[in-house]
Amino acid sequence: MKSDRVTLQIISNSLLYASEEMGLALRNSAYSPNIKERMDHSAAVFDPTGKLLAQAEHIPVHLGSLPWGLANLIRHLSRERTELEAGSMVAANDPYITGTHLNDVTVAAPIHSKGEVVAYVVNKAHHSDVGGVVPGSISMRARTLSEEGYVLEPTTLWRRGKFVESTVEGFSRASRTPRERRGDLKAQVAANVTGARRVKELIARYGLEAFELAGENSFKHSATLTKKRLARFRRGNYEATDFLEGPSGEDLKLRVRVAVSTSDVSLDYSGTSAEVDYPLNAVLGVTISGAYYVLRCLLGDDIPANYGAFEHVRVHAPMGTVLNPTSPHPVGGGNVETSQRNADVLFRALYPSVRDRVPAAAGGSMNNVMMGGEAAGSAWAFYETIGVGLGGRSRMDGLDGIQANMTNTMNTPIEEIERTIPIRMLRYEFRQDSSGAGKFRGGSGLIRAYQSLADGMTFTVLADRGRHLPWGLKGGFPGNGTEVVVERKGTRVAVPPKSTFRLDAGDIAEIRTAGGGGYGDPAERDVSNVIRDVEDGLLTAQKVTTDYRLGRRFTLK
Amino acid sequence: LPVKMSRMAVGVDVGGTFTDVILSDSEGLEVLKLPTTADPATAVLRALGRLGPKARKAGLISHATTLATNALLTHQGLAHTALITNDGFRDILEIGRQRRPELYDLETRRPSTLVRRRDRLTIRCRVGADGSEIEPLDAKGAEALAEHVAKGGFESVAICFLNSYQNGVHEKEMRSVLRDCGFPGHISISSEVDDEYREYERTSTTVVNAALSPLMTGYLSSLRTSLRRSNFRAPIYIMNSDGGASTVAYASSRPVTVIESGPAAGVIASRHLARKLSLNRVLTFDMGGTTAKAATVIDYEPEVIDEFEAAGKTHSGRSIRGSGYPIRGEFIDLAEVSAGGGTIAWVDEAGELKVGPASAGSDPGPACYGTGGLNPTVTDANVVLGRLNPAALLGGAMPIRSDLALRSIRKISGRLGLGPMEVAKGIIRLVDNAMARAMSLVTIERGRDPREFEILAFGGAGPVQACDLAEEMGISDVVVPLHAGLFSAYGLLAGELTRSFISPVMGTGVRLAGRFHELELSAARAMREEGFIRFGLDRYFEGRYLGQSHELLLPFRTDSNVRSTFDARHRALYGYSLPDKLEIVKIKVRARVPRPSSMLLQPRTPASHTPPSKRRAWIGGRSRVVPVFNREALPAGSRGEGPCIIEEYDSTLVVNPSWRWTVEDYGTRLTR
Repeated sequence: MKSDRVTLQIISNSLLYASEEMGLALRNSAYSPNIKERMDHSAAVFDPTGKLLAQAEHIPVHLGSLPWGLANLIRHLSRERTELEAGSMVAANDPYITGTHLNDVTVAAPIHSKGEVVAYVVNKAHHSDVGGVVPGSISMRARTLSEEGYVLEPTTLWRRGKFVESTVEGFSRASRTPRERRGDLKAQVAANVTGARRVKELIARYGLEAFELAGENSFKHSATLTKKRLARFRRGNYEATDFLEGPSGEDLKLRVRVAVSTSDVSLDYSGTSAEVDYPLNAVLGVTISGAYYVLRCLLGDDIPANYGAFEHVRVHAPMGTVLNPTSPHPVGGGNVETSQRNADVLFRALYPSVRDRVPAAAGGSMNNVMMGGEAAGSAWAFYETIGVGLGGRSRMDGLDGIQANMTNTMNTPIEEIERTIPIRMLRYEFRQDSSGAGKFRGGSGLIRAYQSLADGMTFTVLADRGRHLPWGLKGGFPGNGTEVVVERKGTRVAVPPKSTFRLDAGDIAEIRTAGGGGYGDPAERDVSNVIRDVEDGLLTAQKVTTDYRLGRRFTLK
Repeated sequence: LPVKMSRMAVGVDVGGTFTDVILSDSEGLEVLKLPTTADPATAVLRALGRLGPKARKAGLISHATTLATNALLTHQGLAHTALITNDGFRDILEIGRQRRPELYDLETRRPSTLVRRRDRLTIRCRVGADGSEIEPLDAKGAEALAEHVAKGGFESVAICFLNSYQNGVHEKEMRSVLRDCGFPGHISISSEVDDEYREYERTSTTVVNAALSPLMTGYLSSLRTSLRRSNFRAPIYIMNSDGGASTVAYASSRPVTVIESGPAAGVIASRHLARKLSLNRVLTFDMGGTTAKAATVIDYEPEVIDEFEAAGKTHSGRSIRGSGYPIRGEFIDLAEVSAGGGTIAWVDEAGELKVGPASAGSDPGPACYGTGGLNPTVTDANVVLGRLNPAALLGGAMPIRSDLALRSIRKISGRLGLGPMEVAKGIIRLVDNAMARAMSLVTIERGRDPREFEILAFGGAGPVQACDLAEEMGISDVVVPLHAGLFSAYGLLAGELTRSFISPVMGTGVRLAGRFHELELSAARAMREEGFIRFGLDRYFEGRYLGQSHELLLPFRTDSNVRSTFDARHRALYGYSLPDKLEIVKIKVRARVPRPSSMLLQPRTPASHTPPSKRRAWIGGRSRVVPVFNREALPAGSRGEGPCIIEEYDSTLVVNPSWRWTVEDYGTRLTR
């Protein structure tokens, strides 16, 4: 069959559909609320050299880390002289290979045609608990990777249509919740079974030659589009610095220099803080994800997300820094918190280059909540993240209470939480007066309050932007910072945004997430919008009077 | 009052642009198309008037309307609504699932909220996950709140408390307090509208219901009054989103059940034809001016899903979560893609040909209509390639300007470095690919092999692409019904009246036979209360492995084969089954009211033989001269082989090489 351009385009479209379908199969067959309710997973198809052919839009932090991880995985297997036989799948969670943190398990399946690998289907899913020192596995107390949980080096998970039980059991039993782990790990196989079926059908139909050409063609198409869009950027060298808050009051510096030319974008993270012995290190795959995410936002999401779309992006992060740590430094929070700050510092640096396309800073934390304990004689563990306010934008306000930048997982339904773990939810609503004032204000943060119904529960919060507030742009004010409050017997105590504590029956943990920064001078805000926010209870009259200098323009009743 | 089915029935489908009316009696069918009026009831009355006095004898008026969908899309006509939730949970409606609709769009937005924050009111009370009362409804607070609502000029109120799917007592109490305070408007409570878990989806469904109810109540009661005044005494039924039907009273209080009534009609028409022709696996393909829709009908039942995002956006046929208003309930599972006759082709910055999602719609329309359209559309490509009549459509009533079609395609062919014919072919192939995607969504992605299906192609543009798509999907049988362009409206009459009854189970190792018996008793009672005497009942269960959250819906036969049915389906979908316990989430009974069987599509005028003409057309990947038949001139039993074209008043059928065609009473059948 002649491989005309339309045929090649059809093959590429079909690969994107295949990756979307993989994500659905995973959700539909999974066991943990984190995957089935929150869709904390991603899926993609690669060529035999590990170049990304298509990736479903699931989680931005997996955008660059999935390709980085697969390339490492292929290298690792060839170094170990392990050849994956047709129809088998390999699983791994070592972040220094697969590219995020231990909770994310990557399952990859080679697809063979006439004895040769012609593609890979890969998916990654966040497992709520993989052992380690606290339920949920992400703990500021972990000093090494192995203290964060079970490290699964690349191991065969599925062979000739059957599960390799030793892999399933080795991984699952290391968790506080083995039954859930088995269900989720097997669901990852379901996703790849689905993807492999589609890819094989495409090859059978159009032939291997057309399939391979389709990859080349789609890379070229994305690269051309990227270059055209890049031409709209102002060329030059830019730099920015932002901060991440360490667990003992110290600051970690993220510094980037960006060089924008007509043909590429180079990022140099020299000057970033050295790696640390608590888990705020982000493996290089996560750092690259941040770069891809920010550029995809600025270049346009209509560019097909494949190898060609990111060909022109060069990332240099010096070894031994928090953005390119060395094994076995712990990395659990790098994926969720350091990654958010990386996005912030990149947006900040690129602002002079693209101007009003960049929004003010969003709440800047995934506000990870991990809980666990014993209930009815068996252990349980739970993981979720909470949204923030988005930064104000040049033409509109930031959104209230929603996931920002590097994540887009859903919330866990309160009714799901209350029927599965010993928790009663007390509040889940927008946080009043938390948005940064501006001509276009930032979004409000959220308040989410959990009451324990059992004694001896371990509760971990991993959040950021407690001291370094989400910045405004063009005269906009910063958003309010993250606050965590623990209430025991009526006494409320503020604790740091990175804390692990015990809750007994009746105790309450309340997370108050950061608001987005404002965009533009608050004095220029349309008065009717200010009044509306007061009527809606998002802002108090007092806040409005000070931040928006409204007294001069209008008298509130 | 028992419903007696007269032999005559009238269907009225009010769409955004046209009101289609169809009358069926022992003689056959009569069809009318009129422009929709600002007050849709006027068009309905006008259309019925045109049918003449005999329409007054109709035993039934079946109605589909886009009123609710349009209201949600435009925010016109929605009630001023208040929402009452638990203290601390004021923003569940707006937070939604906490997810931005577009991942990489820095200007992404939520759909604008149906109840602004000021009108989202809270009250102290709480029920636990097991249904027990943790804190009673704060009586004083409830009264104050009710006064506020009664004085606040609200037309409608939605009440949704946490865990009310287990126990709706506080919602009922709150409703009583509102009534005691003299609130006269509509009240929707979540435990009655949608008593299933996940608070956001339940709240959203309840709020949409509350916001639509006054509008729907007003429309339906004025329609009924005007019909009575004009001596139409037949009962009116409103088509539901799941293809069932509701009485006026039910649709007024539960407008969420009729939101997708229009799209459902085409699938219901297909089911009817499938049953007549004993086709047990049908893939429906409905292509109109702006979109193409695909759905499956298996063993004469359309596939049904239990959540729908109204007024939301879609991406390649899949709805984008968070872009619209989620509504739970039963909806016919349709995949819709922007691929209609009016869909526009363009060239992106990297020089690649693209088709859609923009559409030329009916104004200005495709370039070849000569009504001011300049952009090349799918219809223009078909005209340039000779696949559509290059002189006129609609039996000559609509002139076609093939020169304008060619000019529109030339507009983009230069930038592609290709000749206009090549570009036109590319447009057709890309649009075929988009439609194949819709078909895959409802077959392959649901674990069904499309090759086991027959395509039923309709809508004005469906039969043009039917053979191409069948080849793309590996399908070897296609049926094109008579009046393919009006086939959807026919579904209003062909549809059985159905209604689903659901009972939650949420347990493992539960014996279901007894529960089905109970559910059937209450279903039968409810059906009789609405006046139905004869009806059939079908049984289904929804199950999952204990720990999963997403269920598979399967027919129930006996308790002993529930497990094996489930395992087999899971294996077919995901490659394995598990030894884990099977959790039954709910059981479902569908009541079906049989309808008179005479309503089969039949031509009214006998065929008169005329010889085929010839023209050059691009068919099956090649340009060649093919015979062009006039469908009205072909008597039943006529047959032949592709490549050829069969033209009908409201559609054109393109038959590819290696396909054989036969003309039947009900339409045309193609095989290869």
